[in-house]
Amino acid sequence: MTTMTTSRFGVNIDNTQDDPRVRAPLVVGGKHIQDVTNAVSAISERPTTLGWKISFAVALMLLGLLGVCLAYLLTTGIGVWGNNQPVGWAFGIVNFVFWVGIGHAGTLISAILFLFRQNWRTGINRMAEAMTIFAVMCAGLFPAIHVGRPWLAYWLAPVPNQMGMWPQFRSPLLWDVFAVSTYATCSLFFWYVGMIPDLATLRDRATGRVRQMLYGFFSLGWTGSARHWHRYEKAYLLLAALCTPLVLSVHSVVSFDFAVSQLPGWHTTIFPPYFVAGAIYGGFAMVLNLAIPARAFFGLKDIITARHIDNCCKIMATTGMIVSYAYAMEFFIAWYSGDHYEKFTFWNRAFGPFAWSFWVMIFCNAVNPHFLWFKKCRTNMVLVFICAFFANVGMWFERWEIIATSLTRDFLPTNWWTFRPTPIDIGMLVGSFGLFFTFFLLFCRFLPVVAMAEVKTVMPEAHPHGHGEHPEDAAVRADYHPDEHHRPQGGTH
Amino acid sequence: MRDIVAKEFPGYDADGIAGSSRRGFLKLMSASMALAGLTLTGCRRWPQEKLAPFSSNPAGWEAGVTENYATVWEFGGVGQGLLVKSFDGRPIKIEGNPSHPFAVVSSGKYGASTLHAQATLLDTYDPVRNTGILQRGSKAGAGTWDDFIEGIRAAIAANPAGFAVLSEATASPSVLDMRERLTKAFPQVKWYEYEAVSRDNELEGSRLAFGQSLRSRLYLNKAAVVVCLDADILCDHPASLRYSSDWAVKRRSADDGQMSRVYAIESTFSNTGSVADVRLGATPDRVEAVARAIAAGLGVAGAQAEQLSAAEESFVKAAIADLQKAGAAGVVTVGYQASPTTHAVAHAINAKIGATGNTITFHADPAGDRPTHMKAIADLATAMNAGQVATLLIIGGNPAFDAPADVNFAMGLGKVGFSAHLSQYDDETSRLCKWHLPRAHYLECWGDARGWDGTASIAQPLIEPLFGGKSVIEALALITNDQVKDGEQIVRRTWKQSLATELDWRKALERGTIENSASPVVETAVKAISYPTIVAQPAGTFVIRIDANPSIYDGRFANNGWLQETPDPMTKLVWDNAASISIRDARAMGIEQGDMIKIETPTGQTMEIAAFLMPGQPLGVLTTTIGYGRGEAAGPVGEELGFNTYAIVTTGAPSIINGAKVSKIGKTYTLVTTQEHHILEGIADDAERVRLGAVPGQSGTIIRDAFFSEFKSNKKIFPRDKALPLQLYDSPRVLNNTHAWGMSIDMSACTGCGACQIACQAENNIPIVGKTESVRHREMNWIRIDRYFKGDAANDDVAIVHQVMMCQQCENAPCEQVCPVGATVHDSEGLNTMVYNRCIGTRYCQNNCPYKVRRFNYFDFHHKDPREKWGRPWPGLPDTQQLDIDKVKRLVYNPDVTVRMRGVMEKCTYCVQRIHGATIKKRAEGSDVKDGDILTACQQACATEAIVFGNYNEADSQVSKLRENRRSYPVLQDLNTRPRTRYLAKLRNPSDDAVAPAPEEA
Repeated sequence: MTTMTTSRFGVNIDNTQDDPRVRAPLVVGGKHIQDVTNAVSAISERPTTLGWKISFAVALMLLGLLGVCLAYLLTTGIGVWGNNQPVGWAFGIVNFVFWVGIGHAGTLISAILFLFRQNWRTGINRMAEAMTIFAVMCAGLFPAIHVGRPWLAYWLAPVPNQMGMWPQFRSPLLWDVFAVSTYATCSLFFWYVGMIPDLATLRDRATGRVRQMLYGFFSLGWTGSARHWHRYEKAYLLLAALCTPLVLSVHSVVSFDFAVSQLPGWHTTIFPPYFVAGAIYGGFAMVLNLAIPARAFFGLKDIITARHIDNCCKIMATTGMIVSYAYAMEFFIAWYSGDHYEKFTFWNRAFGPFAWSFWVMIFCNAVNPHFLWFKKCRTNMVLVFICAFFANVGMWFERWEIIATSLTRDFLPTNWWTFRPTPIDIGMLVGSFGLFFTFFLLFCRFLPVVAMAEVKTVMPEAHPHGHGEHPEDAAVRADYHPDEHHRPQGGTH
Repeated sequence: MRDIVAKEFPGYDADGIAGSSRRGFLKLMSASMALAGLTLTGCRRWPQEKLAPFSSNPAGWEAGVTENYATVWEFGGVGQGLLVKSFDGRPIKIEGNPSHPFAVVSSGKYGASTLHAQATLLDTYDPVRNTGILQRGSKAGAGTWDDFIEGIRAAIAANPAGFAVLSEATASPSVLDMRERLTKAFPQVKWYEYEAVSRDNELEGSRLAFGQSLRSRLYLNKAAVVVCLDADILCDHPASLRYSSDWAVKRRSADDGQMSRVYAIESTFSNTGSVADVRLGATPDRVEAVARAIAAGLGVAGAQAEQLSAAEESFVKAAIADLQKAGAAGVVTVGYQASPTTHAVAHAINAKIGATGNTITFHADPAGDRPTHMKAIADLATAMNAGQVATLLIIGGNPAFDAPADVNFAMGLGKVGFSAHLSQYDDETSRLCKWHLPRAHYLECWGDARGWDGTASIAQPLIEPLFGGKSVIEALALITNDQVKDGEQIVRRTWKQSLATELDWRKALERGTIENSASPVVETAVKAISYPTIVAQPAGTFVIRIDANPSIYDGRFANNGWLQETPDPMTKLVWDNAASISIRDARAMGIEQGDMIKIETPTGQTMEIAAFLMPGQPLGVLTTTIGYGRGEAAGPVGEELGFNTYAIVTTGAPSIINGAKVSKIGKTYTLVTTQEHHILEGIADDAERVRLGAVPGQSGTIIRDAFFSEFKSNKKIFPRDKALPLQLYDSPRVLNNTHAWGMSIDMSACTGCGACQIACQAENNIPIVGKTESVRHREMNWIRIDRYFKGDAANDDVAIVHQVMMCQQCENAPCEQVCPVGATVHDSEGLNTMVYNRCIGTRYCQNNCPYKVRRFNYFDFHHKDPREKWGRPWPGLPDTQQLDIDKVKRLVYNPDVTVRMRGVMEKCTYCVQRIHGATIKKRAEGSDVKDGDILTACQQACATEAIVFGNYNEADSQVSKLRENRRSYPVLQDLNTRPRTRYLAKLRNPSDDAVAPAPEEA
């Protein structure tokens, strides 16, 4: 095949321009569909790089730290955490909500943006979905081990038993179990189903026997036949439709843990939309934190382009401002309600002993997104990375603010106390990143980090008339008439 | 029954067997219990146990059925009448003896007990007591009683004039009898008596006023006006149970339109001060000045009016007016730290207003006329240091630790040739003596004691000595080679006159008191008192006031974890002592909470101690407590805690040290309280004002209080309950059950003493957590006493409200709705129950509990060493962890209550085991429980009857009537939790026309 060079969007073109007359290309650098396959597959085919080895070693060390902390926790009791009498939930649940929040962006990108025909999602959706899966794994760990008797955590599930014991369905914690487990299951399926054509590509390109066997097994006999594509697309659409409400429901249900209780600072009707917005904000921040280094290290700058980053930034800015609005509204309602417990709780957040964490949160979540108004900022990868990092920090502190500081000072002043994390608290938070990155690095090394098949559908070549004649026209048609796509023959390029 | 047995088995001597085999029976029982461990029920796989069944059932014994035995515990020379619950041969709970005049509550329904009496149970099973006889310096290190007897006899024979005995305070007739026999056997023996917490000044004051040492006994149920001069009669007094109970009668009568008025001027912030209607903080010299001014105002002969400050002036004026009005119904009482002259002045005032004989009577001191403890210890130490003491027997006490710093007791002890210490612990004194002799715990031996008014009681053993100790009388019998060496026989011999027949003896044992044994009232006139000039406090110096520690007393309970973890009722400190300093003094000196300060006394003693900022502490006075700062000898629980204040105690100034210099030394110390001070922070101010009802015209959501005058005139001062019909889930309110359990807590009657907390701990197998875990705020107490300051803390102008808080048994319980596994559910009688073995420990219930009364087992606290900073990993199955608990320690557990494992939530259950114990028994009899049949543990400990438990579905039950009381309200009513526990608002009676302060200008 020949390489396309005639595009008016040449090599290194700036595709962040918003020219209303023409769609910006989503793959730049003059890449042909074959180049996409080569670029993405090469990551898992070339020998392991030193950078990956070092990163993986660090991640494994952190995972080991998590393991040590876990072993100590399980043999000793959860008193190794800093939780105390008024503060029944602290780091464990903060980490849980933090990770669940991060797990939002992936499915949002793959499901909701799919349904909304946002073609730019294709560049980052695979990575974001993987992030979702691993984040939900980290999230799922915490509720299971934060209970006093973790070996009995399975009692949260409705397991039929001869004792007739059954969960108590009025408890939001139980709703949580269902919401998170459903979300985890659907996200995993969605991720896997979407990956099948790409796994087949890797299978077909594989040279070693082991790789052929493993990719062969997991690609479920994909041949790229029209029938396969037909089934695949239907399944993908259905799963997207299934996942879309889950994106909204899971964090709404997580927020019920707090909203349904009657603790000042928790008992707030604004929580479901507020939590979802926050989760998307944090999730996109994490996508950026992962995608920016990944596109550099793996040479994917032409596939995960500046435009992708720019779009993510815009979503972050939007949801960040929704979150800021929610903060303001919480304070307004605390005052407007006339409830003096509520009033005190919010006053205490802003000016009490944990005021520092409140202002960290305000900076990270309410001030930080406003940098993203500026295109200069959005297109500067270092600045975007820093912004996204702050957003992640801010989102952790938001959960900390809601969960822990509300508990430190509630109704009876005689119960008030403070919270001080122990080394185990810190170790588990840090260790959970080890868990996350261990899986993420393995994913980067062995699985297609970009949804090759999907990216190809948004390239000009996918258009019926798009064989290089009228590329700009093709991009537009691909946008508005996706059903007219030429199907790239998976694994045959 | 006996008749049938007698007919069936002629010659079967039931009494004989019951009498003579009692010890054998107990021995067998305790041995079998020790072997068997105990039934750690619930939450775990069944432990492997070995059982030794009886080949035949002992007469009158039913397996698993608890029995109560009356006994007495001598504490500081005063007997406390007790009723001890025994389960299969081991004591498991201590209550007050309702037959004892100083334990029975006013209504006569039960006997109350102090927190110390409650906590002695834990000492019984303290494995540290297991020392055996120690002979220091000998090769083996251990010795036998025979070796000891041989040794001491030889030593006395070698130098008969050099034999001395140092005893703790005692009025036990048997000990006094044995003392006489000892004197007969060794005529040159010198007997000294020393107690660190001494009521010497009372004795001296009585000698000043009457020429003889008399004890005063108050009748607060007759007192309309009580003036307390540095007197914490409600908590820090041997008769505090009786006094609290009587005082509460005159507080509760507010509902009937009558209420007593208590004035307190004090050099600290005491419990009595906290519940007084008019309180003034002052230095001790000012307390005396005020006493004299009151005397002068009432026309006591010789009394001179003193120069008073404006605050003192108004205090004195009001007190005089009220005492004059009350006449014989008034009383003035003085604390043991106050000067002898103050005591004498009070006696004169009481005589003047006619109170003597009505609200106060005098009795001969049962221990007899003795030299003061300070003189005794100084004399003995001088003799020891002069080499005049060759043989010293120390009975109880711990003088090497608690003797005044200036007598050099420890140094003198080194010069004694043969020294022996009969003690429960191998403590500081034992370690300096040649011999340590294990002393039997009072629950392990026979004995007797006299109560505050001289009422005598017999102490009977509940269990064979676990570690083979001997009682004081048994040890003395061995030394004197008495023909009678058995404790029971010694006591019987002492009482053979008044308890002549077996029936009398058995009656006395059963009742727990010997009838008509109280010391008779002594009627004597007050002599003319001389009034030495009051030495004013030098400017720029502090008065150091040294009190008995509310928890560990003089240090003797240092190894008692229950007491260590019982917060100081005022400061809420646990596991430490500190020096309380007023906010204004602290601000002036730049002292913050926990700053280390140095105290230098005029006599040259110095010590360093952490400062505790206490609102309401008088200016210029530092209050601290004794008993802390013990080394390794205190035992594994109590070692290395707090500060040794004995370092500054001298014979000249045992409890009040004038003219001390205090300076900050730039170090800090971690003090742990169970409550934070919030009132000091501006941020909490507004929130607390609303909650505590400090906003004029609003009732507090947590605390409701009022002045008695307003309560009388305004029927609607406390709003009625609001009905909030809207709710998501049906509440289990409408339950078709004959029982609807509920509780009422009278905040006007609560003194905040803390006895309920220990009672609950003992009853419900509540573990201690230790200091480091207390820093993390993980105390496990199901019941706590919340202390709220109201007023201007920055200027030390505060009032205190004590609020007992435990599970409120909400009908609409927030905890139940959020438990994902249904481990906390409502029962048909309205109890919010905890299913421990269903609980997985999500702690959601705790988060959602507005009262935060749920307690979580962050570690296996029963198994964890309280001194460990972190938990130690348990590699086995988690539910086998408790099998590793010391076998002796386990004996203290109440078999009716699950011993909770780690990871489980727990909370107050209204003593559900007691409820069901009583209802099942009644059901078997075909009837139903009546009001008063069930007492919760906290209720039974409460001397003021502030806690009332009962059935709301019984129309004339006390708790139903109290629900209709105008003062009754639920805490945090707006949350619609519908608590079954309701509170009665606190009333204060500072003057006949007191009104709430006018609203502040905005």
